Amino acid sequence: MAERVADLADLSAAAVEAARDHEAVEAYAEESRRTEVTAHKGEVEGLTFAESRGVGIRLIAKGRLGYAYAADPSLDEVREAVARARQNAELATEDEFNALPPAKPVEPIAALFRQDQATLPTERKVSVALDLEHLAVSADPRVTKVDQAGYGDAVSRVAIASTAGVTAEYGRTDCWAVVSALAEGDGETQAGWSFRVARELGELDWGSVAQEAVERSARLLGAVKPASGRVPVVLDPFAGSSFLGVLAGALSAESVQKQRSLFADLLGEAVGSPLLTLVDDGRTLDGPAAAPFDDEGVPTGRTELIARGTLMAFLHNTYTAMRGGTHSTGNAKRGGYRTPPGVGTTNFFVQPETSPVSDILRQAEGGVLIQDVSGVHSGANPISGEFSVGATGLRIANGELGEPLREMTVASTVPEMLKGIAAVGDDLRFFTSVGVPTILIAEMTVAGV
Amino acid sequence: MLDRELAGQVLRAARARGGSFAELFVEERSSLTIRLDDGKIEELTSGLDRGAGVRVGHGTSFGYAFSNRLDRDALLEAASAAAAAVAEGAGAGQVVDLRTQDPPVVHRAERPAEAVAAAEKVAWLRGVDDVARAFSPHVRQVSASYGDSVQRVLIATSDGRWVEESRPRIRLGVQVVAGRDGVIQTGFHGPAGLAGVEFFDEHPPAKTAEVAAKRAVTMLDAGPAPAGEMPVVLAPGMGGVLFHEACGHPLEADIVDKEASVYRGRIGEQLASSLVTGVDDATIPNAWGSFSFDDEGVPAQRTILFQDGALQALMYDRLRAEKDGVSSTGNGRRQSYAHPPIPRMTNSYILNGPSKADDVLASTERGVYVTALGGGQTNPASGDFVFGVSEGYLIEGGKVTSPVRGANLTGRAIEVMSAVDAVADDFDTWEGVCGKDGQGVPVGSGSPTLRIARITVGGTGG
Repeated sequence: MAERVADLADLSAAAVEAARDHEAVEAYAEESRRTEVTAHKGEVEGLTFAESRGVGIRLIAKGRLGYAYAADPSLDEVREAVARARQNAELATEDEFNALPPAKPVEPIAALFRQDQATLPTERKVSVALDLEHLAVSADPRVTKVDQAGYGDAVSRVAIASTAGVTAEYGRTDCWAVVSALAEGDGETQAGWSFRVARELGELDWGSVAQEAVERSARLLGAVKPASGRVPVVLDPFAGSSFLGVLAGALSAESVQKQRSLFADLLGEAVGSPLLTLVDDGRTLDGPAAAPFDDEGVPTGRTELIARGTLMAFLHNTYTAMRGGTHSTGNAKRGGYRTPPGVGTTNFFVQPETSPVSDILRQAEGGVLIQDVSGVHSGANPISGEFSVGATGLRIANGELGEPLREMTVASTVPEMLKGIAAVGDDLRFFTSVGVPTILIAEMTVAGV
Repeated sequence: MLDRELAGQVLRAARARGGSFAELFVEERSSLTIRLDDGKIEELTSGLDRGAGVRVGHGTSFGYAFSNRLDRDALLEAASAAAAAVAEGAGAGQVVDLRTQDPPVVHRAERPAEAVAAAEKVAWLRGVDDVARAFSPHVRQVSASYGDSVQRVLIATSDGRWVEESRPRIRLGVQVVAGRDGVIQTGFHGPAGLAGVEFFDEHPPAKTAEVAAKRAVTMLDAGPAPAGEMPVVLAPGMGGVLFHEACGHPLEADIVDKEASVYRGRIGEQLASSLVTGVDDATIPNAWGSFSFDDEGVPAQRTILFQDGALQALMYDRLRAEKDGVSSTGNGRRQSYAHPPIPRMTNSYILNGPSKADDVLASTERGVYVTALGGGQTNPASGDFVFGVSEGYLIEGGKVTSPVRGANLTGRAIEVMSAVDAVADDFDTWEGVCGKDGQGVPVGSGSPTLRIARITVGGTGG
């Protein structure tokens, strides 16, 4: 990998050199090397090695934006991509806010790249995957098989260069473990999963991934449909993280400017319970999404979006900041080199409070703990904030988890849910880029029968 | 893209340590995406992708390596990386001479999208914006995207298959936001095909815009959905979406192989209403989920999954078919060269039945009529599923009355499919991108109007 670092810089420099007068050109180059191992019935099920590289070109001329990309391009193909982006720009609508960010000093984050991880031998990765599956099928007699048990890792590097003077580059290592366990009893099968990510294997607690998946599947055996009613609802971090995605969309300045956010006119107003503080922090190493700069080279930072229930800010990239007359929060985000930057989150999390989970369960007497929700992406309306989603969970009785529940739906609106937060736990847990502790909602409609 | 001699070399390198087969998948994909939002052509993106993946199978395990370099060195390096997954080398495996396979069906683009100027495509989107905004003063925002791509694939396998195919895909999707008195609703429509721009003769962009706008505007009047068990009538196409999620996924052979399917070991049993005949069919000409060959080089075919409610077959790729001692059903698909193939649906359809849609509604005393589902999820192990309803109405006294919002449908696959008590004859399709194991592939769903006698509707109303 190391010898190719110069390549990325060469490719992006070639693009910048191909710019004509009065054109703004930016090249985003990335490369990655991934390995994934899945295990099944004590054997390696699949072993995948991947190498990929690509360059995306953003070109702005007379306020018009064009984009083109190429996979593993030669220097000539990079120049061709600049020409295609130029053609595309001619057909786009002029927009005075189209601009590339000016160069700003970037503080590197050395801890993102771990040399040991970058050189980890394949045999070690295989042994982790096999161990994951073994741990999952030997922890509980009711769990004898997995739907999925796997280890994966990636070594990646990003380089950005532009006619506005940006030249930024960084590398990172990531690794992860995932288990989806299947519990059986009385002709019934229940699935439970868990997932963790780290920067190197030594910091990846894969044993707990197996253990959690087992617990979460086994405790659902014998689940019944609940009666319909309004009850206290505890969202465990797995379930809570699904809702954070909806909030991320609504807090993007892009959604706000296009009238697609339920928070559009609410800056400075109370949008949630005073217990709710929601943060985006691209620099905290506690979250897996830390990076020195965003996907257009703007240094990352910390933004309090909701502070003690009050809506304080939105997430911005350079375009939305220009349009909104403010500065970028370092939240430009792309789906890789194939797409121009939009607005997205970095480490996006609910600030933990001091309540231990046991206290929250006591407060939720007669309610339900939701451990998984499905269909949030389709069942929640990001604009109106209404949702009705399928869920599995457990009844709460005498301050403890009781009877398992299935085929249950939970319905509310995002504003009601945020205002109904009655307790926030001390157990912040990150899932890829979103993090959330256990949360108690005073009351929600749960339907079963 | 590659000559046969090099392909043969790569396959031999992949079988250096044995294994049951080796396969080379080479892909080149060119694409154009245009996005209109907020009345502006915000973005035009041209893309050029290419890469190759080498897979070595041994039993139900595999090694896979890919690169987006197509030179000899990179391909041979990928081959030896994939071969390394075969734990105990049993000596080199054989590679049969590569022979060109004839396609069972060819999905031709009559008027290839790449030959049409981008300016014309931009004009379609501007037209969409005009039509949607003119539909109602309550339309607040319109976003639309146009995309076309040509995926050229080459597949060579150690048992002698040589397959080349060009897959032209086209889609135009419109999302409309409507608002009134603080209420905001959205509507989406996005037909898609494996075709050229002639696709728009049957699916004019203006019609797509109108459907999306009507959906959003109608839902402004929606009241809270009822909650509880009741009859639900699914409009044409929507039964196919449910069939895809609730029945299709648990019938994919990898899910069954992992003992995670509610249908495991139950072929021949009556597991749906006798009114339900369901197929997976990649041979439908120019349909979004179709192809000539699957991504393992197996010819496209039509597989009957349910015949009159009796379970008939699973959907196989080569790996699982070999394990079960059957033939692949041509369901081995992958998102791109960067992914190993797994069993996937193509176009999964519930076929027409004997009833008339009007009669089905007229004979429903009280229930919900679902005209658009927002997508859903299934737990294949238990058959539990959930679907969001993005456009739905009350049925009262046999008539479709007021729209409802915030509804979803939950149930279990076998129970719900057995509760189908009416199937009409007005088949239609719905196109989407299905995600599984981190891979998205184009899939079609389809069905006529059908009624489920009892299903749980989750809503906020009483």
